[in-house]
Amino acid sequence: MDANQFIYVPDLSAEDEFRCRVLLPDNLQQYIINGNVRGGKTPFELNLGRGERMEKSLQIIGVRNAACKGELSFEETFRFGPGSSGRIISCSHTLTPDEFSTRERMVINLEEGANAEFFVMQNEHNKARHDLRCDISLAEGASLRMVFISLHGGEINNEINVDLNGPHADCDLSGLYLTDTGQKMSNSVQLRHLVPDCHSNQLFKGILNDDGVSKFYGGILVAPDAQHTEAFQANHNLLLSDSSRAYSKPQLEIYADDVKCSHGATVGRLDEEELFYMRTRGITADEARLLQQMAFAYEVLERITSSELRERVLSLVEGRLRGDFASCKGCTKNCC
Amino acid sequence: MLTIKDLHASVGEKEILKGINLQVNAGEVHAIMGPNGSGKSTLASVIAGRETFTVTSGEIIYKGRDITSLSPEERSWAGIFLGFQYPIEIPGVTNVNFIKTAVNEQRKQKGLPALSAAEFLKLMREKMAYVEMDSSFSGRGVNVGFSGGEKKRNEIFQMAMLEPELSILDETDSGLDVDALRIVATGVNKMRTPQNATIVITHYQRLLDYIVPDFIHVLYKGRIIHTAGKELALEIEKRGYDWLINE
Repeated sequence: MDANQFIYVPDLSAEDEFRCRVLLPDNLQQYIINGNVRGGKTPFELNLGRGERMEKSLQIIGVRNAACKGELSFEETFRFGPGSSGRIISCSHTLTPDEFSTRERMVINLEEGANAEFFVMQNEHNKARHDLRCDISLAEGASLRMVFISLHGGEINNEINVDLNGPHADCDLSGLYLTDTGQKMSNSVQLRHLVPDCHSNQLFKGILNDDGVSKFYGGILVAPDAQHTEAFQANHNLLLSDSSRAYSKPQLEIYADDVKCSHGATVGRLDEEELFYMRTRGITADEARLLQQMAFAYEVLERITSSELRERVLSLVEGRLRGDFASCKGCTKNCC
Repeated sequence: MLTIKDLHASVGEKEILKGINLQVNAGEVHAIMGPNGSGKSTLASVIAGRETFTVTSGEIIYKGRDITSLSPEERSWAGIFLGFQYPIEIPGVTNVNFIKTAVNEQRKQKGLPALSAAEFLKLMREKMAYVEMDSSFSGRGVNVGFSGGEKKRNEIFQMAMLEPELSILDETDSGLDVDALRIVATGVNKMRTPQNATIVITHYQRLLDYIVPDFIHVLYKGRIIHTAGKELALEIEKRGYDWLINE
Protein backbone atom coordinates (compact mmCIF):
# COMPACT_ATOMS: atom_id res chain seq x y z
CA MET A 1 0.00 0.00 0.00
CA ASP A 2 1.14 3.50 -0.77
CA ALA A 3 1.78 5.94 2.05
CA ASN A 4 -1.19 8.25 1.60
CA GLN A 5 -3.80 5.83 0.82
CA PHE A 6 -7.19 6.94 -0.29
CA ILE A 7 -9.83 4.68 -1.57
CA TYR A 8 -12.53 6.52 -3.41
CA VAL A 9 -15.61 4.50 -3.95
CA PRO A 10 -18.78 5.85 -5.52
CA ASP A 11 -21.42 4.36 -3.30
CA LEU A 12 -21.88 2.37 -0.13
CA SER A 13 -22.22 -0.80 -2.16
CA ALA A 14 -19.08 0.01 -4.15
CA GLU A 15 -20.58 -1.93 -7.04
CA ASP A 16 -21.57 0.82 -9.41
CA GLU A 17 -19.58 2.97 -11.74
CA PHE A 18 -18.50 6.30 -10.35
CA ARG A 19 -20.81 8.96 -11.70
CA CYS A 20 -19.96 12.37 -10.35
CA ARG A 21 -17.17 14.44 -11.83
CA VAL A 22 -14.10 14.20 -9.67
CA LEU A 23 -10.96 15.89 -10.91
CA LEU A 24 -8.08 13.64 -10.15
CA PRO A 25 -4.48 14.26 -11.06
CA ASP A 26 -3.49 12.38 -14.20
CA ASN A 27 -1.02 10.12 -12.51
CA LEU A 28 -3.83 8.63 -10.48
CA GLN A 29 -6.07 7.69 -13.34
CA GLN A 30 -4.35 4.37 -13.70
CA TYR A 31 -5.68 3.36 -10.31
CA ILE A 32 -9.28 3.41 -11.42
CA ILE A 33 -10.41 -0.16 -11.28
CA ASN A 34 -14.06 -1.09 -11.55
CA GLY A 35 -15.06 2.31 -10.30
CA ASN A 36 -12.69 2.26 -7.33
CA VAL A 37 -9.97 4.86 -7.33
CA ARG A 38 -6.84 4.59 -5.26
CA GLY A 39 -4.48 7.47 -5.05
CA GLY A 40 -1.24 8.84 -3.77
CA LYS A 41 0.02 12.08 -2.35
CA THR A 42 -1.68 14.66 -4.52
CA PRO A 43 -4.54 16.56 -2.85
CA PHE A 44 -8.00 15.39 -3.59
CA GLU A 45 -10.31 17.88 -5.20
CA LEU A 46 -13.96 17.71 -6.01
CA ASN A 47 -15.52 20.39 -8.19
CA LEU A 48 -19.18 20.47 -8.93
CA GLY A 49 -20.31 22.90 -11.63
CA ARG A 50 -23.37 25.11 -11.65
CA GLY A 51 -26.50 23.12 -10.98
CA GLU A 52 -24.66 19.84 -10.98
CA ARG A 53 -26.14 17.14 -8.80
CA MET A 54 -24.23 14.14 -7.57
CA GLU A 55 -26.54 11.25 -8.17
CA LYS A 56 -24.80 9.08 -5.65
CA SER A 57 -22.91 9.62 -2.45
CA LEU A 58 -19.17 9.86 -2.75
CA GLN A 59 -17.38 7.88 -0.10
CA ILE A 60 -13.80 8.65 0.70
CA ILE A 61 -12.12 6.06 2.84
CA GLY A 62 -8.80 6.80 4.44
CA VAL A 63 -7.01 3.70 5.61
CA ARG A 64 -3.76 3.55 7.51
CA ASN A 65 -1.81 0.43 8.26
CA ALA A 66 1.59 -0.70 9.49
CA ALA A 67 3.19 0.00 6.10
CA CYS A 68 2.87 3.71 6.76
CA LYS A 69 3.42 4.59 10.38
CA GLY A 70 4.11 8.02 11.81
CA GLU A 71 2.86 11.30 10.45
CA LEU A 72 0.71 11.94 7.45
CA SER A 73 -0.82 15.16 6.20
CA PHE A 74 -3.27 15.65 3.43
CA GLU A 75 -5.89 18.01 2.18
CA GLU A 76 -9.20 17.64 0.41
CA THR A 77 -11.07 20.41 -1.34
CA PHE A 78 -14.76 20.35 -2.11
CA ARG A 79 -16.22 23.08 -4.29
CA PHE A 80 -19.91 23.09 -4.78
CA GLY A 81 -20.84 25.45 -7.61
CA PRO A 82 -24.03 27.54 -7.56
CA GLY A 83 -27.13 25.39 -7.06
CA SER A 84 -25.17 22.14 -7.05
CA SER A 85 -25.74 19.38 -4.55
CA GLY A 86 -24.17 16.21 -3.25
CA ARG A 87 -23.39 13.96 -0.34
CA ILE A 88 -19.89 13.10 0.85
CA ILE A 89 -19.03 10.29 3.22
CA SER A 90 -15.56 10.39 4.70
CA CYS A 91 -14.26 7.57 6.89
CA SER A 92 -10.86 7.27 8.51
CA HIS A 93 -9.58 3.95 9.74
CA THR A 94 -6.47 2.42 11.13
CA LEU A 95 -6.01 -1.26 10.45
CA THR A 96 -3.26 -1.86 12.98
CA PRO A 97 -2.71 -0.60 16.52
CA ASP A 98 0.47 1.32 15.62
CA GLU A 99 1.36 4.92 16.31
CA PHE A 100 -0.20 7.09 13.66
CA SER A 101 -0.60 10.79 13.39
CA THR A 102 -2.95 12.03 10.72
CA ARG A 103 -3.41 15.66 9.85
CA GLU A 104 -6.32 16.22 7.59
CA ARG A 105 -7.69 19.43 6.21
CA MET A 106 -11.01 19.64 4.48
CA VAL A 107 -11.82 22.80 2.60
CA ILE A 108 -15.50 23.07 1.82
CA ASN A 109 -16.83 25.85 -0.30
CA LEU A 110 -20.53 26.15 -1.03
CA GLU A 111 -21.52 28.76 -3.59
CA GLU A 112 -24.96 30.37 -3.98
CA GLY A 113 -27.77 27.95 -3.30
CA ALA A 114 -25.53 24.89 -3.13
CA ASN A 115 -26.66 22.07 -0.91
CA ALA A 116 -24.23 19.59 0.63
CA GLU A 117 -24.25 16.91 3.21
CA PHE A 118 -21.09 15.57 4.82
CA PHE A 119 -20.72 12.56 7.02
CA VAL A 120 -17.34 12.25 8.70
CA MET A 121 -16.39 9.21 10.74
CA GLN A 122 -13.22 8.39 12.61
CA ASN A 123 -12.62 4.82 13.70
CA GLU A 124 -9.03 4.38 14.74
CA HIS A 125 -6.95 2.47 17.28
CA ASN A 126 -5.81 3.76 20.65
CA LYS A 127 -2.37 4.92 19.59
CA ALA A 128 -3.67 6.86 16.63
CA ARG A 129 -4.03 10.61 16.65
CA HIS A 130 -6.21 12.38 14.14
CA ASP A 131 -6.34 16.14 13.72
CA LEU A 132 -9.04 17.24 11.38
CA ARG A 133 -9.47 20.83 10.41
CA CYS A 134 -12.45 21.89 8.35
CA ASP A 135 -12.51 25.31 6.74
CA ILE A 136 -15.97 25.95 5.48
CA SER A 137 -17.64 28.82 3.74
CA LEU A 138 -21.24 29.21 2.68
CA ALA A 139 -22.54 31.75 0.17
CA GLU A 140 -26.08 33.11 -0.10
CA GLY A 141 -28.79 30.50 0.32
CA ALA A 142 -26.29 27.66 0.62
CA SER A 143 -27.10 24.83 2.97
CA LEU A 144 -24.69 22.47 4.69
CA ARG A 145 -25.44 19.57 6.96
CA MET A 146 -22.47 17.89 8.56
CA VAL A 147 -22.35 14.98 10.99
CA PHE A 148 -19.14 13.97 12.78
CA ILE A 149 -18.93 10.57 14.39
CA SER A 150 -15.80 10.01 16.45
CA LEU A 151 -16.38 6.35 17.05
CA HIS A 152 -13.01 5.28 18.36
CA GLY A 153 -9.52 6.74 18.50
CA GLY A 154 -6.60 7.54 20.76
CA GLU A 155 -6.83 11.26 20.23
CA ILE A 156 -9.20 13.01 17.89
CA ASN A 157 -9.29 16.77 17.44
CA ASN A 158 -11.89 18.19 15.16
CA GLU A 159 -11.55 21.87 14.44
CA ILE A 160 -14.47 23.22 12.50
CA ASN A 161 -14.42 26.76 11.17
CA VAL A 162 -17.49 28.01 9.36
CA ASP A 163 -18.07 31.37 7.73
CA LEU A 164 -21.59 32.22 6.72
CA ASN A 165 -20.88 34.75 3.98
CA GLY A 166 -24.22 35.19 2.27
CA PRO A 167 -27.72 35.81 3.61
CA HIS A 168 -30.02 32.82 4.17
CA ALA A 169 -27.13 30.41 4.46
CA ASP A 170 -27.93 27.47 6.71
CA CYS A 171 -25.41 25.33 8.54
CA ASP A 172 -26.26 22.34 10.69
CA LEU A 173 -23.35 20.72 12.55
CA SER A 174 -23.68 17.71 14.78
CA GLY A 175 -21.32 15.28 16.36
CA LEU A 176 -21.13 12.20 18.51
CA TYR A 177 -17.98 11.20 20.33
CA LEU A 178 -17.40 8.01 22.27
CA THR A 179 -14.39 7.68 24.52
CA ASP A 180 -13.04 5.10 26.89
CA THR A 181 -9.67 4.10 28.34
CA GLY A 182 -7.09 6.79 27.71
CA GLN A 183 -8.96 8.30 24.77
CA LYS A 184 -9.22 12.02 24.20
CA MET A 185 -11.65 13.67 21.84
CA SER A 186 -12.21 17.29 21.18
CA ASN A 187 -14.53 19.29 18.97
CA SER A 188 -13.80 22.92 18.52
CA VAL A 189 -16.26 24.97 16.53
CA GLN A 190 -15.89 28.54 15.38
CA LEU A 191 -19.03 29.53 13.58
CA ARG A 192 -19.19 33.07 12.24
CA HIS A 193 -22.40 34.75 11.19
CA LEU A 194 -21.00 37.54 9.04
CA VAL A 195 -24.18 38.63 7.26
CA PRO A 196 -27.88 38.92 8.18
CA ASP A 197 -30.58 36.25 7.96
CA CYS A 198 -28.49 33.12 8.41
CA HIS A 199 -29.30 30.07 10.47
CA SER A 200 -26.97 27.71 12.28
CA ASN A 201 -27.34 24.81 14.61
CA GLN A 202 -24.78 22.81 16.58
CA LEU A 203 -25.48 19.64 18.48
CA PHE A 204 -22.56 17.71 19.94
CA LYS A 205 -23.01 14.76 22.27
CA GLY A 206 -20.53 12.50 23.99
CA ILE A 207 -20.58 9.24 25.90
CA LEU A 208 -17.52 8.85 28.09
CA ASN A 209 -16.35 5.76 29.87
CA ASP A 210 -13.29 4.76 31.94
CA ASP A 211 -10.88 7.69 32.02
CA GLY A 212 -11.92 9.08 28.65
CA VAL A 213 -11.75 12.85 28.26
CA SER A 214 -13.69 15.11 25.94
CA LYS A 215 -13.58 18.77 25.20
CA PHE A 216 -16.09 20.88 23.42
CA TYR A 217 -15.46 24.44 22.50
CA GLY A 218 -18.34 26.14 20.76
CA GLY A 219 -17.70 29.59 19.45
CA ILE A 220 -20.41 31.60 17.78
CA LEU A 221 -19.71 35.04 16.43
CA VAL A 222 -22.51 37.29 15.24
CA ALA A 223 -21.11 40.27 13.33
CA PRO A 224 -22.50 43.78 14.01
CA ASP A 225 -24.84 43.88 11.04
CA ALA A 226 -25.76 40.18 11.01
CA GLN A 227 -29.34 40.91 12.08
CA HIS A 228 -31.99 38.18 12.20
CA THR A 229 -29.33 35.62 12.92
CA GLU A 230 -30.55 32.37 14.39
CA ALA A 231 -27.78 30.42 16.06
CA PHE A 232 -28.32 27.48 18.36
CA GLN A 233 -25.83 25.32 20.15
CA ALA A 234 -26.00 22.36 22.51
CA ASN A 235 -23.40 20.07 24.02
CA HIS A 236 -24.48 17.12 26.16
CA ASN A 237 -22.27 14.58 27.84
CA LEU A 238 -23.02 11.28 29.45
CA LEU A 239 -20.44 10.06 31.95
CA LEU A 240 -20.47 6.32 32.54
CA SER A 241 -17.61 6.26 35.00
CA ASP A 242 -16.26 8.30 37.89
CA SER A 243 -12.94 8.98 36.21
CA SER A 244 -14.21 10.20 32.84
CA ARG A 245 -14.19 13.92 32.28
CA ALA A 246 -16.06 16.22 29.92
CA TYR A 247 -15.12 19.84 29.45
CA SER A 248 -17.54 22.13 27.73
CA LYS A 249 -17.06 25.74 26.82
CA PRO A 250 -19.65 27.64 24.87
CA GLN A 251 -18.52 31.08 23.79
CA LEU A 252 -20.95 33.47 22.17
CA GLU A 253 -19.92 36.84 20.86
CA ILE A 254 -22.92 38.74 19.66
CA TYR A 255 -22.59 42.21 18.18
CA ALA A 256 -26.02 42.48 16.53
CA ASP A 257 -29.15 43.22 18.55
CA ASP A 258 -31.94 41.49 16.64
CA VAL A 259 -30.90 37.86 16.90
CA LYS A 260 -32.05 34.55 18.31
CA CYS A 261 -29.22 32.64 19.93
CA SER A 262 -29.08 29.91 22.51
CA HIS A 263 -26.57 27.56 24.01
CA GLY A 264 -26.68 24.79 26.55
CA ALA A 265 -24.22 22.35 28.00
CA THR A 266 -24.87 19.43 30.30
CA VAL A 267 -22.84 16.69 31.92
CA GLY A 268 -24.84 13.87 33.43
CA ARG A 269 -25.15 10.21 34.24
CA LEU A 270 -27.56 7.48 33.24
CA ASP A 271 -30.95 8.03 34.81
CA GLU A 272 -31.58 5.55 37.64
CA GLU A 273 -35.36 5.90 37.39
CA GLU A 274 -35.26 4.93 33.72
CA LEU A 275 -33.02 1.99 34.54
CA PHE A 276 -35.35 0.67 37.23
CA TYR A 277 -38.36 1.13 34.97
CA MET A 278 -36.76 -0.89 32.18
CA ARG A 279 -35.55 -3.59 34.54
CA THR A 280 -39.05 -4.12 35.98
CA ARG A 281 -40.02 -5.04 32.42
CA GLY A 282 -37.37 -7.75 32.39
CA ILE A 283 -34.73 -5.85 30.45
CA THR A 284 -31.33 -6.65 32.01
CA ALA A 285 -29.37 -3.84 33.62
CA ASP A 286 -26.70 -4.02 30.90
CA GLU A 287 -29.22 -3.98 28.11
CA ALA A 288 -31.13 -1.13 29.76
CA ARG A 289 -27.93 0.92 30.00
CA LEU A 290 -27.23 0.24 26.35
CA LEU A 291 -30.75 1.30 25.37
CA GLN A 292 -30.26 4.54 27.28
CA GLN A 293 -26.95 5.22 25.57
CA MET A 294 -28.39 4.47 22.15
CA ALA A 295 -31.28 6.79 22.90
CA PHE A 296 -28.80 9.49 23.90
CA ALA A 297 -26.80 8.98 20.71
CA TYR A 298 -29.84 8.79 18.49
CA GLU A 299 -30.49 12.50 18.55
CA VAL A 300 -27.25 12.94 16.61
CA LEU A 301 -27.62 9.85 14.43
CA GLU A 302 -31.07 10.90 13.26
CA ARG A 303 -29.44 13.87 11.56
CA ILE A 304 -28.02 11.48 8.99
CA THR A 305 -30.59 11.77 6.23
CA SER A 306 -29.68 8.64 4.28
CA SER A 307 -31.52 5.82 6.01
CA GLU A 308 -29.08 3.23 4.66
CA LEU A 309 -26.13 5.09 6.11
CA ARG A 310 -27.97 5.84 9.34
CA GLU A 311 -28.78 2.16 9.92
CA ARG A 312 -25.17 1.24 9.31
CA VAL A 313 -23.88 3.88 11.70
CA LEU A 314 -26.45 2.84 14.30
CA SER A 315 -25.12 -0.69 14.28
CA LEU A 316 -21.51 0.58 14.42
CA VAL A 317 -22.33 2.75 17.42
CA GLU A 318 -24.18 -0.10 19.11
CA GLY A 319 -21.24 -2.43 18.51
CA ARG A 320 -18.90 0.19 19.90
CA LEU A 321 -21.02 0.71 23.02
CA ARG A 322 -21.12 -3.05 23.51
CA GLY A 323 -17.34 -2.91 23.62
CA ASP A 324 -16.33 -4.06 20.15
CA PHE A 325 -13.83 -2.24 18.01
CA ALA A 326 -16.46 -1.73 15.38
CA SER A 327 -15.62 -2.51 11.80
CA CYS A 328 -17.47 -1.45 8.70
CA LYS A 329 -18.71 -4.85 7.65
CA GLY A 330 -19.81 -4.88 4.06
CA CYS A 331 -18.64 -1.32 3.53
CA THR A 332 -16.10 -2.15 0.88
CA LYS A 333 -13.92 -5.12 0.16
CA ASN A 334 -10.87 -2.92 0.46
CA CYS A 335 -11.46 -1.87 4.01
CA CYS A 336 -11.60 -3.34 7.49
CA MET B 1 -48.40 -17.03 45.43
CA LEU B 2 -46.98 -14.20 47.54
CA THR B 3 -46.26 -14.30 51.25
CA ILE B 4 -44.71 -11.31 52.93
CA LYS B 5 -43.46 -11.93 56.44
CA ASP B 6 -42.54 -9.18 58.88
CA LEU B 7 -40.98 -7.06 56.13
CA HIS B 8 -38.89 -4.09 57.19
CA ALA B 9 -37.36 -1.76 54.62
CA SER B 10 -35.57 1.55 54.80
CA VAL B 11 -34.10 4.21 52.64
CA GLY B 12 -30.87 5.42 54.17
CA GLU B 13 -31.44 5.61 57.92
CA LYS B 14 -35.16 6.01 57.62
CA GLU B 15 -37.33 2.95 58.14
CA ILE B 16 -40.43 3.08 55.95
CA LEU B 17 -41.86 -0.42 56.12
CA LYS B 18 -42.10 -1.56 59.73
CA GLY B 19 -43.25 -5.14 59.66
CA ILE B 20 -45.58 -5.91 56.76
CA ASN B 21 -47.43 -9.22 56.67
CA LEU B 22 -49.44 -10.07 53.57
CA GLN B 23 -50.70 -13.22 51.92
CA VAL B 24 -51.85 -13.11 48.28
CA ASN B 25 -53.16 -16.25 46.58
CA ALA B 26 -53.63 -16.98 42.88
CA GLY B 27 -56.90 -15.62 41.55
CA GLU B 28 -57.18 -12.87 44.19
CA VAL B 29 -57.28 -9.11 43.93
CA HIS B 30 -55.95 -7.17 46.90
CA ALA B 31 -56.31 -3.44 47.36
CA ILE B 32 -53.91 -1.47 49.50
CA MET B 33 -55.16 1.87 50.75
CA GLY B 34 -53.85 4.36 53.23
CA PRO B 35 -53.05 8.02 53.74
CA ASN B 36 -50.15 9.75 51.97
CA GLY B 37 -46.74 8.71 53.20
CA SER B 38 -47.94 5.47 54.73
CA GLY B 39 -45.53 3.38 52.63
CA LYS B 40 -47.80 2.08 49.85
CA SER B 41 -45.52 2.96 46.94
CA THR B 42 -42.49 1.80 48.91
CA LEU B 43 -44.09 -1.59 49.40
CA ALA B 44 -44.77 -1.84 45.66
CA SER B 45 -41.19 -0.83 44.83
CA VAL B 46 -39.69 -3.23 47.35
CA ILE B 47 -41.65 -6.17 45.94
CA ALA B 48 -40.43 -5.18 42.46
CA GLY B 49 -36.82 -5.00 43.66
CA ARG B 50 -35.99 -1.35 43.73
CA GLU B 51 -32.42 -0.98 44.99
CA THR B 52 -32.99 2.43 46.60
CA PHE B 53 -34.64 0.57 49.47
CA THR B 54 -32.86 -1.83 51.75
CA VAL B 55 -34.75 -4.77 53.14
CA THR B 56 -33.45 -4.85 56.70
CA SER B 57 -35.43 -7.90 57.84
CA GLY B 58 -38.29 -10.15 56.87
CA GLU B 59 -39.05 -12.20 53.77
CA ILE B 60 -40.85 -11.87 50.47
CA ILE B 61 -41.76 -15.40 49.41
CA TYR B 62 -42.98 -15.59 45.82
CA LYS B 63 -43.97 -18.96 44.41
CA GLY B 64 -42.10 -20.73 47.15
CA ARG B 65 -38.82 -18.85 47.18
CA ASP B 66 -37.47 -15.79 48.92
CA ILE B 67 -36.93 -13.15 46.25
CA THR B 68 -35.42 -10.39 48.40
CA SER B 69 -31.96 -10.89 46.85
CA LEU B 70 -33.20 -11.00 43.24
CA SER B 71 -32.68 -8.12 40.79
CA PRO B 72 -35.71 -6.30 39.35
CA GLU B 73 -35.28 -8.10 36.00
CA GLU B 74 -35.12 -11.51 37.69
CA ARG B 75 -38.36 -10.73 39.50
CA SER B 76 -39.91 -9.67 36.21
CA TRP B 77 -38.84 -12.95 34.59
CA ALA B 78 -40.43 -14.77 37.51
CA GLY B 79 -43.74 -13.07 36.63
CA ILE B 80 -43.89 -9.93 38.77
CA PHE B 81 -45.02 -6.69 37.16
CA LEU B 82 -45.06 -3.20 38.62
CA GLY B 83 -47.33 -0.58 37.06
CA PHE B 84 -45.78 2.77 37.95
CA GLN B 85 -47.59 5.65 39.60
CA TYR B 86 -45.49 7.98 37.47
CA PRO B 87 -44.43 6.06 34.35
CA ILE B 88 -40.96 7.10 33.25
CA GLU B 89 -40.38 8.92 29.99
CA ILE B 90 -37.52 7.53 27.94
CA PRO B 91 -36.79 9.85 25.02
CA GLY B 92 -35.15 8.15 22.06
CA VAL B 93 -36.35 4.64 22.89
CA THR B 94 -39.50 3.95 20.91
CA ASN B 95 -42.41 2.25 22.60
CA VAL B 96 -42.28 -0.60 20.12
CA ASN B 97 -38.54 -1.14 20.52
CA PHE B 98 -38.87 -1.01 24.29
CA ILE B 99 -41.64 -3.56 24.60
CA LYS B 100 -40.06 -5.80 21.96
CA THR B 101 -36.78 -5.85 23.89
CA ALA B 102 -38.72 -6.66 27.07
CA VAL B 103 -40.87 -9.41 25.53
CA ASN B 104 -37.93 -11.07 23.82
CA GLU B 105 -35.82 -10.91 26.99
CA GLN B 106 -38.65 -12.66 28.86
CA ARG B 107 -38.85 -15.29 26.13
CA LYS B 108 -35.09 -15.78 26.18
CA GLN B 109 -35.24 -16.46 29.92
CA LYS B 110 -37.94 -19.06 29.34
CA GLY B 111 -35.86 -20.70 26.61
CA LEU B 112 -38.24 -19.54 23.88
CA PRO B 113 -37.09 -18.10 20.54
CA ALA B 114 -37.58 -14.37 19.85
CA LEU B 115 -40.89 -13.53 18.18
CA SER B 116 -40.78 -12.84 14.46
CA ALA B 117 -41.69 -9.33 13.34
CA ALA B 118 -45.10 -10.53 12.15
CA GLU B 119 -45.87 -12.47 15.35
CA PHE B 120 -44.81 -9.52 17.44
CA LEU B 121 -46.97 -7.05 15.51
CA LYS B 122 -49.98 -9.31 15.78
CA LEU B 123 -49.52 -9.68 19.53
CA MET B 124 -49.01 -5.96 19.94
CA ARG B 125 -52.15 -5.05 17.99
CA GLU B 126 -54.19 -7.48 20.02
CA LYS B 127 -52.91 -6.10 23.35
CA MET B 128 -53.17 -2.47 22.32
CA ALA B 129 -56.85 -3.08 21.71
CA TYR B 130 -57.21 -4.05 25.40
CA VAL B 131 -56.59 -0.45 26.38
CA GLU B 132 -57.91 1.21 23.20
CA MET B 133 -54.46 2.50 22.25
CA ASP B 134 -53.93 3.31 18.62
CA SER B 135 -50.86 2.32 16.67
CA SER B 136 -49.50 5.88 16.54
CA PHE B 137 -48.14 5.28 20.05
CA SER B 138 -45.77 2.55 18.98
CA GLY B 139 -43.34 4.77 17.10
CA ARG B 140 -43.16 7.42 19.82
CA GLY B 141 -40.57 7.58 22.59
CA VAL B 142 -41.65 5.60 25.66
CA ASN B 143 -44.23 7.80 27.44
CA VAL B 144 -42.75 10.94 25.86
CA GLY B 145 -45.46 13.53 25.38
CA PHE B 146 -48.12 11.09 26.57
CA SER B 147 -50.96 12.52 28.63
CA GLY B 148 -51.50 11.16 32.15
CA GLY B 149 -54.16 8.80 30.88
CA GLU B 150 -52.07 7.63 27.94
CA LYS B 151 -49.17 6.81 30.25
CA LYS B 152 -51.38 4.66 32.44
CA ARG B 153 -52.86 2.91 29.43
CA ASN B 154 -49.33 2.25 28.26
CA GLU B 155 -48.57 0.62 31.62
CA ILE B 156 -51.54 -1.72 31.23
CA PHE B 157 -50.55 -2.40 27.62
CA GLN B 158 -47.07 -3.43 28.79
CA MET B 159 -48.65 -5.60 31.45
CA ALA B 160 -50.80 -7.28 28.80
CA MET B 161 -47.73 -7.91 26.64
CA LEU B 162 -45.70 -9.42 29.50
CA GLU B 163 -48.58 -11.53 30.93
CA PRO B 164 -47.38 -11.41 34.54
CA GLU B 165 -48.65 -13.70 37.29
CA LEU B 166 -48.48 -11.04 39.98
CA SER B 167 -49.29 -7.47 38.98
CA ILE B 168 -48.82 -4.58 41.34
CA LEU B 169 -50.57 -1.44 40.14
CA ASP B 170 -49.34 1.62 41.98
CA GLU B 171 -52.03 4.31 41.89
CA THR B 172 -52.94 3.45 38.36
CA ASP B 173 -56.08 5.52 38.83
CA SER B 174 -54.36 8.78 39.76
CA GLY B 175 -54.74 11.47 37.14
CA LEU B 176 -57.36 9.58 35.18
CA ASP B 177 -60.72 10.91 34.06
CA VAL B 178 -63.73 8.60 34.18
CA ASP B 179 -63.32 7.33 30.62
CA ALA B 180 -59.62 6.58 31.00
CA LEU B 181 -60.33 4.90 34.32
CA ARG B 182 -62.90 2.64 32.70
CA ILE B 183 -60.50 1.76 29.87
CA VAL B 184 -57.66 0.96 32.24
CA ALA B 185 -59.88 -1.06 34.59
CA THR B 186 -61.43 -2.99 31.71
CA GLY B 187 -57.92 -3.84 30.50
CA VAL B 188 -56.96 -5.14 33.93
CA ASN B 189 -60.17 -7.15 34.28
CA LYS B 190 -59.66 -8.81 30.89
CA MET B 191 -56.38 -10.19 32.15
CA ARG B 192 -57.77 -11.68 35.34
CA THR B 193 -57.52 -15.45 35.50
CA PRO B 194 -57.62 -17.98 38.35
CA GLN B 195 -53.85 -18.33 37.93
CA ASN B 196 -52.80 -14.73 38.43
CA ALA B 197 -53.16 -12.16 41.16
CA THR B 198 -53.29 -8.38 41.36
CA ILE B 199 -52.37 -5.90 44.04
CA VAL B 200 -54.00 -2.52 43.48
CA ILE B 201 -52.69 0.47 45.36
CA THR B 202 -55.13 3.32 45.44
CA HIS B 203 -56.30 6.36 47.32
CA TYR B 204 -59.86 6.23 46.16
CA GLN B 205 -62.76 3.88 46.31
CA ARG B 206 -63.59 4.90 42.71
CA LEU B 207 -61.16 2.43 41.06
CA LEU B 208 -62.49 -0.39 43.24
CA ASP B 209 -65.92 0.02 41.65
CA TYR B 210 -64.28 -1.22 38.46
CA ILE B 211 -61.62 -3.58 39.77
CA VAL B 212 -63.41 -5.34 42.59
CA PRO B 213 -61.00 -6.53 45.29
CA ASP B 214 -61.30 -9.60 47.45
CA PHE B 215 -59.44 -7.89 50.29
CA ILE B 216 -58.67 -4.33 51.28
CA HIS B 217 -55.68 -3.59 53.48
CA VAL B 218 -55.06 -0.27 55.15
CA LEU B 219 -51.43 0.71 55.43
CA TYR B 220 -50.41 3.28 58.02
CA LYS B 221 -46.91 4.24 59.09
CA GLY B 222 -45.38 1.20 57.46
CA ARG B 223 -47.78 -1.37 58.90
CA ILE B 224 -51.02 -2.96 57.76
CA ILE B 225 -53.42 -1.85 60.47
CA HIS B 226 -56.66 -3.24 59.11
CA THR B 227 -57.84 -5.84 56.60
CA ALA B 228 -61.42 -6.34 55.42
CA GLY B 229 -63.54 -7.11 52.37
CA LYS B 230 -64.49 -4.78 49.52
CA GLU B 231 -67.10 -2.96 51.63
CA LEU B 232 -64.30 -1.26 53.56
CA ALA B 233 -63.61 1.08 50.63
CA LEU B 234 -67.01 2.72 50.92
CA GLU B 235 -66.58 3.19 54.61
CA ILE B 236 -63.18 4.82 54.13
CA GLU B 237 -64.68 7.05 51.47
CA LYS B 238 -67.25 8.26 54.02
CA ARG B 239 -65.26 8.32 57.22
CA GLY B 240 -61.62 8.69 56.16
CA TYR B 241 -58.81 6.83 57.90
CA ASP B 242 -58.92 8.44 61.33
CA TRP B 243 -61.29 5.93 62.89
CA LEU B 244 -58.98 3.10 61.81
CA ILE B 245 -55.87 4.85 63.01
CA ASN B 246 -57.47 5.58 66.39
CA GLU B 247 -58.60 2.01 66.87
